[in-house]
Amino acid sequence: MLALDDVTLAYGPVVAVEGVSLTVEQGEIVTLIGANGAGKTTILRAVSRLIKPRKGSVAFMGRDLAGLTPDKVVRLGLAHSPEGRQVLARLSVLENLELGAYVRSDAAGVAEDLERMFGLFPRLRERQRQAAGTLSGGEQQMLAIARALMSRPRLLLLDEPSLGLAPIIVEEIFEIITALNREGTTILLVEQNAHLAMQAAHRAYVLEAGRLVVSGDARALMDDERVKRAYLG
Amino acid sequence: MTLAWFLQNLLNGLSMGSVYAIFALGYTLVFSILGIINFAHGAVFTLGAYLTYLLSVGQFGINGLLAGWQLPFTLPFPLALLAGAGLSGLAGMAVERLAFKPLRARQADALLALVSSLGVALILVNLIQYLFGAEIYSYPSDVLGSLPPAFIFKVGGKPVAVRTVQIVLFVVSLVMLAALAWFIHGTKAGKALRATAENQDTASLLGINVDAFILGTFFVSGLLGGLSGTLIGVSFGLSGPYFGVAYGLKALAVIVLGGLGSIPGAVLGGLVIGLGEAFLPPDLSSYKEAVAYALLFVILLVRPQGLLGGTTEQKV
Repeated sequence: MLALDDVTLAYGPVVAVEGVSLTVEQGEIVTLIGANGAGKTTILRAVSRLIKPRKGSVAFMGRDLAGLTPDKVVRLGLAHSPEGRQVLARLSVLENLELGAYVRSDAAGVAEDLERMFGLFPRLRERQRQAAGTLSGGEQQMLAIARALMSRPRLLLLDEPSLGLAPIIVEEIFEIITALNREGTTILLVEQNAHLAMQAAHRAYVLEAGRLVVSGDARALMDDERVKRAYLG
Repeated sequence: MTLAWFLQNLLNGLSMGSVYAIFALGYTLVFSILGIINFAHGAVFTLGAYLTYLLSVGQFGINGLLAGWQLPFTLPFPLALLAGAGLSGLAGMAVERLAFKPLRARQADALLALVSSLGVALILVNLIQYLFGAEIYSYPSDVLGSLPPAFIFKVGGKPVAVRTVQIVLFVVSLVMLAALAWFIHGTKAGKALRATAENQDTASLLGINVDAFILGTFFVSGLLGGLSGTLIGVSFGLSGPYFGVAYGLKALAVIVLGGLGSIPGAVLGGLVIGLGEAFLPPDLSSYKEAVAYALLFVILLVRPQGLLGGTTEQKV
């Protein structure tokens, strides 16, 4: 479904990611783990075309994304819930969710999905008229995920959904992530909380200083010495 | 200090103030999206005034490259107003593509666009002067057709006169304000515009074509600029290719006074300055052009963020 082939990414002269190849197959949860600054977020930004690869190719649904702008990639069925939550703080919770469905024109389906999101995240229903910037960190994270889901994506990119949240909320969010996957959404998950991510994922890629060092079955990797040493402590 | 005197000044002030408001909104819209002042806005104001004049009167006078040249057709004023505004909107789009987009594509410092927009402004103004000359043009007195030039009514035995042009100014501005408010808060595109103003990356991740919204914003901004130029031009005449520059500076005072980036602020700022000028005592009327800046000075002493500017800047 998603294939990165020998991708090199740079911010100006600074190379952030070098020669990364990875794939995500339909129905999987794949996690990309690594220390802070390893290049995880940069890879997601390249998939949704917020930055252009210096080298290599990114293909989604068999289509090379070169030359597309981010809004066109969304229309192909990709949703990206960015790091730091990035809710539109001055817009209401409801407006944020409605904009999540910006690319859709089936009003009935959108209304149905809105109800579904309110079912998944009851607190968003209570606060739908509030400006999104007034929500707590956990609520903003829920809103960012719900907003990404409103486009009914084939592939969901989740960047650090656990960042800065209380453990009980993190658990809740990971339950929702696995439930979404069981319902058919393919997920590429970026996490610093490697233990949690590898429990939820089918496969994992481990990134170190911009290069892939290990990849494979997530459960198996949890016992891998190299992963343990580097990320699990 | 009679009631008639008060009413007369109030009407004069509201009429001018409403035009200042829509002109200033052209700055505000672009500022909301790009966080920068478009210095070509005043030139588009001049352009709109000249285009509408050309379309409704059919010719310019004695100087300039087009002296003596006659447009093969003329339009009734309302149509010329719409066409002039529409063409100004296109000019606004050209400003975006020439002065803003190339720098944005290179991720240049946003401040550089100040200089490039100033450059486009100079080119536009000089082109107008080259084509139409630098003299003053006034609309013929029958520009509004069979409508009387003014309506006069009596309040407490004293006459209050409303020029028909003033009514046109006020009504057109009000219609534009209402249309804009509806678009921004009542449509899906308006919601997407507010998202773009808040965070362009996030907006694009939602499938919003940010580039198209920026271009559209420049169209609306140019349309408001050209429309205000025409309205001021039909009210006071076209005092040369540079008259948009003076009004452009005044509209900058309006947006700073109202609060940078705030739409209600631009409207309130426009009305405050329009009314301030109208209520200036007659023996001080030679200081009229200073009113905007005097008000700006006083208000910024008390509220440095402007009348409606929040501590976190409010956009669109």
